[in-house]
Amino acid sequence: MEEEETYLELYLNQCAAQDGLAPPRSPLFSPVVPYDMYILNASNPETAFNSNPEVKETCGGFSSVDLSFLPDELTQEDKNQPVIGSKHETEENSESQSRLPSPSDIGLGSNSPSLSNPHSQQHPSDTDSVQASPEKPDSNSLPLASITPMTPVTSVSECCGIVPQLQNIVSTVNLACKLDLKKIALHAKNAEYNPKRFAAVIMRIREPRTTALIFSSGKMVCTGARSEEQSRLAARKYARVVQKLGFPARFLDFKIQNMVGSCDVKFPIRLEGLVLTHQQFSSYEPELFPGLIYRMVKPRIVLLIFVSGKVVLTGAKERSEICEAFENIYPILKGFKKA
Amino acid sequence: MGFKLFCRYSLGDARRPLHETAVLVEDVVHTQLINLLQQAAEVSQLRGARVITPEDLLFLMRKDKKKLRRLLKYMFIRDYKSKIVKGIDEDDLLEDKLSGSNNANKRQKIAQDFLNSIDQTGELLAMFEDDEIDEVKQERMERAERQTRIMDSAQYAEFCESRQLSFSKKASKFRDWLDCSSMEIKPNVVAMEILAYLAYETVAQLVDLALLVRQDMVTKAGDPFSHAISATFIQYHNSAESTAACGVEAHGNAIQPCHIREAIRRYSHKIGPLSPFTNAYRRNGTAFLAC
Repeated sequence: MEEEETYLELYLNQCAAQDGLAPPRSPLFSPVVPYDMYILNASNPETAFNSNPEVKETCGGFSSVDLSFLPDELTQEDKNQPVIGSKHETEENSESQSRLPSPSDIGLGSNSPSLSNPHSQQHPSDTDSVQASPEKPDSNSLPLASITPMTPVTSVSECCGIVPQLQNIVSTVNLACKLDLKKIALHAKNAEYNPKRFAAVIMRIREPRTTALIFSSGKMVCTGARSEEQSRLAARKYARVVQKLGFPARFLDFKIQNMVGSCDVKFPIRLEGLVLTHQQFSSYEPELFPGLIYRMVKPRIVLLIFVSGKVVLTGAKERSEICEAFENIYPILKGFKKA
Repeated sequence: MGFKLFCRYSLGDARRPLHETAVLVEDVVHTQLINLLQQAAEVSQLRGARVITPEDLLFLMRKDKKKLRRLLKYMFIRDYKSKIVKGIDEDDLLEDKLSGSNNANKRQKIAQDFLNSIDQTGELLAMFEDDEIDEVKQERMERAERQTRIMDSAQYAEFCESRQLSFSKKASKFRDWLDCSSMEIKPNVVAMEILAYLAYETVAQLVDLALLVRQDMVTKAGDPFSHAISATFIQYHNSAESTAACGVEAHGNAIQPCHIREAIRRYSHKIGPLSPFTNAYRRNGTAFLAC
């Protein structure tokens, strides 16, 4: 690995000399960038590290990871670098990024997509110098799926600053007590209950703007939130409403079931080309649905890609999956940019 | 239906398809669908049913495995798409829950159950696991890709719009066009979806065949056997040159009515000792392009 690092350094310096651009990736980070990114980037595709085209890790750590250990040379990269790029930038910009989860999220375990954690958890031996020391060793949520040793800083110049925005989150929670739906419907505001149509109470609250389906078994589904903590907050509010009506409601097994995000790559995409080259993953039936349905395997996310350049990502259980999926698809989409 | 012009553009014809060709295509598709509907009605009647169901249409298609497989794939994709879109829009999600029944994969279930019941040899059910590449679909995809590669973004936007047109968008108009109201036995919702798909497939098939016919008509200088070789042979074996040629031609010239007529003539004329007996619906004199 060390060899690769120095090789990377050499390559980058070469590139910088040739192109006059700042090296898109820090010499510290090991090469996780897929082969084609390098090709797109530099004129001479060095292949040393491309033997390791692992899936990139989650998009730049949004949560305020402590990146102070990073050396200063990284700063020179920011010229053309969009925000999401280097970790340190992310840290600085995390406040200004309205879409990033607020620092308070960090406490909420499940949504901290800190890059280093999976790494430190799964590959403790893979030191590679950089790996950010686990600022959040308690990050419990990261699944094995999003593991890759190193950071995606590399992908910066390709991925630019686009961050998928979350549009909808579906979560479930168990209130752990039998409920009398009729009573709830009668006493609660904003509740609908039509037993002939559907066996649950539909309740809505305005802040966060969400809808909940409450079943007599005590299980509840909460939809419409735009972030993980909003979903949790909303679910708690519904639980409190139920509690106030006299039921011994608890708050067990809160789980996010699905997250939907969307973003815009800002260029038109030639879907016919994409469906042909990625046949095994895509379906495109324009007379049925105007978007191309792309089933990404790793992470397991479904993307709806439209000609206009808008991309919708769904099927995620975690924010990091959405980011990762977008990072994976971006270079592919660029390849099919309709001039 | 004026949008057919657009439809054909998306399927491979030139940007401004000829009006005469459009009229002819409309006529052909109309006739074929009406015939198909009548046959489906007959089958329904045999079962003693009151509506034409997708099962009846699947039954009519049982002979042609490739087309049947394409239809099945289409049905699955439709199911899958509803599932995904539901997950995205919370209103859709509620609607679905409210409608009560388990709608997920309903078309797939219908197809599977039905084929299960009529399958004697197991070959129909084998289609569900079959992952073979659909050559016709592949060819269409390639043709579309070639066409779009050379377009600029304005043209491409127009092309995409035309591809989105389908018979299922204006369901009521489609029903009227087929004169469903005068029929005793009417198709149900899923059956209508399938009919819309078959109509689209028919247009697609016609365009495919017409392109082949037109390509045939282009004499290749220096090839002494060109008049004797069939279109399919040329298509498969000269793919390198012909694909390029096809791309250019499709963009430049429109398909003429004569191409369409010739395509239909060839399609109906199956060569072989048993040809009079192979196609079940030939007793009506028409060979269906879509199934």
